[in-house]
Amino acid sequence: MIDELHEELASLYVLGLLEGPELADFQAGLARDPALQTLVRELNETTCRLAYAAPAAAPSPALKARLLDRIDTAARWRAERRVVPFTVPVWLPWAAAACLAVSCAWLGQLYLVSRSENALLRDQQTLAEFELSSARNQLKAERLIAAHEVASATGQLATLEQNLRRARQEADDANLQLTSAQKLIAARDLQVAQNNERLAELEAKSAHDADLANFKISTLASLLGNSPQALAVAVWNPARQEGVLRVEKLPALAADKDYQLWLVDPQYPIPVDGGVFTVDPATGEARISFKADKPIKAVAKFAVSLERKGGVPKAEGPMVLLSQ
Amino acid sequence: MNPAADFDPSAANAERARVDADLLRRIARDDREAFAQLYDRFSRPLYATALRVLNNPAEAEDIVQDVFLALWEKAASFESTRGSAFAWAVTLTRNRAIDRIRMRNRRAELLSQTTAEDAGTQPSDAGPDSATRLLFKEQTGAVRAAVAALPPEQQRAVELAFFSGLTQQEIAALLQEPLGTVKARIRRGLLKLREILGGRHD
Repeated sequence: MIDELHEELASLYVLGLLEGPELADFQAGLARDPALQTLVRELNETTCRLAYAAPAAAPSPALKARLLDRIDTAARWRAERRVVPFTVPVWLPWAAAACLAVSCAWLGQLYLVSRSENALLRDQQTLAEFELSSARNQLKAERLIAAHEVASATGQLATLEQNLRRARQEADDANLQLTSAQKLIAARDLQVAQNNERLAELEAKSAHDADLANFKISTLASLLGNSPQALAVAVWNPARQEGVLRVEKLPALAADKDYQLWLVDPQYPIPVDGGVFTVDPATGEARISFKADKPIKAVAKFAVSLERKGGVPKAEGPMVLLSQ
Repeated sequence: MNPAADFDPSAANAERARVDADLLRRIARDDREAFAQLYDRFSRPLYATALRVLNNPAEAEDIVQDVFLALWEKAASFESTRGSAFAWAVTLTRNRAIDRIRMRNRRAELLSQTTAEDAGTQPSDAGPDSATRLLFKEQTGAVRAAVAALPPEQQRAVELAFFSGLTQQEIAALLQEPLGTVKARIRRGLLKLREILGGRHD
């Protein structure tokens, strides 16, 4: 079948533009392709008619005369050559026979050599075919091995993917557990915090209870002859170094006088000042919170004296109340 | 009725080819008159071709003389089944002219001198008989019209391929086109010419 490539090669061929292997290949194809031969013949006819496309020109009239003269000469020479008598020598048939015999012998030898070469080539061809068959078998085997390896690799890949999915699932589970654990820890931290808080409260309460246990509570009795029913209760918190004093039925004070509370601590040579106070003139009652002006280790007794207004550093007036 | 419409180029070509082949057969029998007739039919296109390739009237005439002598000597070997006598003669002429131009290594010079104008001895009315002159004119007109019908780029590629003696690569370089493009133009150009000129004849 003629395709564009054939047409192109045929066009170049008739123009003498094919060279080398391209020309040889085309000529080989041309020799066995009648359709291509027809195409080449037609294109060649067409191409040769391009001679009419050349700018019009004519050879000199003398050329025709020269040519006719030349062919007349040639014709005469041919005619003369035709009439040259030729006598066949007697020995010529024998010589021809001898040549023929030599030629036959040579051709026979050539035939034998060719046959031998042909056999050798056939052997080589058989060997080459065998090698080709072996190579094909080897290739087939390699393909099978490769296919098997691919299948195996695919299986391994599937297993790995399955393992990976499982590992991811486990990681998800672990993450879930971690989240739960973190929540639990947070809840426990909260509980611990609450417990600590409660513990702190308990400790505070315990400390308070301990404070209460250490409280010094004393009742102060009257030393006044004119007010024997006067009474006071003093409570001292040693942890806080403060206390509360409640008095009843103390006589009303003159304007220039104050009652002054004293705390007797054995570590000091004189009582420690606990502050001054007045009482309700009508009821003789008072309730005061007090602090000592020095650190107190232990209160042995409480005392209340009548002092001048504003109090004194060391008791000077008469004692009106004294703890029992 | 239009006579051109009834004109069958293939049939006309076949008839011309038959006459030419008959002349060659007569030449093979040393028929001087047949040789003279063939000269009248072929000499102008062969000379024009050689002149177009060589651009030298004297050399072109040498080539034509060699070709006609070859036709005279080898007429007996002509086989019409392989192609027409005219194609044979043109091929001999073109090949000889291209061989000469290549041998003398004057390609570049000649190309630069080549023009589209008619050159050489202008044809005169003397020589061939009126029928042969008419045949020549008819052929020239038909072929030139066919070439003119090609697109310009195909025209240029085909003319260079036929007349320049350049290789494919040289033509591509001269036209500054890819080789494939030049090949395609030549192919399309020749196929179109075959279609127009009716190259199919047996």
